[in-house]
Amino acid sequence: MAHDTKAEFQLPLSLVTIVDLSRTRRELAAVDEFMLQASVRKTGARAQLPKTSHALEEMVRANGYNLLEANDRTHLIEILTQLQKKAPTIHMSFAVDPPAAALNRLITWLRQEIHPQLLLQVGLQPSIAAGCIVRTGSKYFDFSLRKHFETNEKLLLTKLHEGVV
Amino acid sequence: MGTTVVHIVGYILIVSAIVFGALGAILALLHDPHKPKKSAKGSAKAAAESQAESSQAYSEVAEKDVEHIFNNEFREELRNRGRLHFEKIIGENAMFLQQDLRLTTSQLNDYMKQEITRTLKDEFGKYEESIMDAKQLAIDSISKTQQAIEEQREILGKQLKDQVASEKLRLITHFEQNMAEIINHYVLAAIGDQIDLSDQLEYILNDLETNKKAILEDIQNGA
Repeated sequence: MAHDTKAEFQLPLSLVTIVDLSRTRRELAAVDEFMLQASVRKTGARAQLPKTSHALEEMVRANGYNLLEANDRTHLIEILTQLQKKAPTIHMSFAVDPPAAALNRLITWLRQEIHPQLLLQVGLQPSIAAGCIVRTGSKYFDFSLRKHFETNEKLLLTKLHEGVV
Repeated sequence: MGTTVVHIVGYILIVSAIVFGALGAILALLHDPHKPKKSAKGSAKAAAESQAESSQAYSEVAEKDVEHIFNNEFREELRNRGRLHFEKIIGENAMFLQQDLRLTTSQLNDYMKQEITRTLKDEFGKYEESIMDAKQLAIDSISKTQQAIEEQREILGKQLKDQVASEKLRLITHFEQNMAEIINHYVLAAIGDQIDLSDQLEYILNDLETNKKAILEDIQNGA
């Protein structure tokens, strides 16, 4: 049984946002509840295991847990609860709803370069046209097309005047 | 005009005098054939009385002769003659009167024509003068109005030009100040639904890479 510490705990790429984390934790809690009920149920009684998501399965597999083990489930729930409270979160706003592939690529880079347990909060801001706006705990990064236009306003003005003249 | 009326009245008086004179003569002939003559007063009354008696005798004889001569046919003849003479005089004078009347009427017509022409000419002259004055006044007024309009037009033109220049400057300034927003809005409206996030990932990752240090510091400080 591999019991990773909290710092080494790996979040799967399919678990991107804090909403995904909350959902996964609920699934895990449901599995744990089912297991608890199954242990007190009479032998031979038919029971239906709750469906688990791909993210939960991937997370269990990546971190070497066994959901049949009560200790693993308890430990896993504890870690997820801690992550839910304290995992570093970045808020990213896009002009359109980002596809899963794009989010996977972004979260891969962020977890490799910034923090391995980083979570995203995705927002929509259609007025930015293209690019994105990133907000960390106390900083604001505008990578939108609008900001690029503002940054290059003098160049635009120069080109415009050249075109007019 | 006054002279012509005096002439007409004079002719009428002359004709009336002639007519009445003739009438008087005829009446004297007709109604006073036996008027006694005044006898001369003599010194001797007796002689006179005798003479009167003889005269009376003669008169009676003469009366008889006169009645014999101036009998009714002769008197009727005289009346007829007098009537004819009177009619002749009346006709002649009527002709003269008619000629005079025609002449007077002609003169009166000429006079009236002249007077009317002169009056009309004077009135037309005054009317023309009034019209000319009114025309001059109207021309002056129009000229002043044109001048005022021209001045107003120049003022309005200048104001409009200034306002256009000001508005142009304001629009250019506004455009330049908000150009990034305008272009962004244009891009969004033109191709906003065609921009795929996957195509932007490289740029986003480049931006993240550029700001990696700041993000990392903020995350570590937050954690």
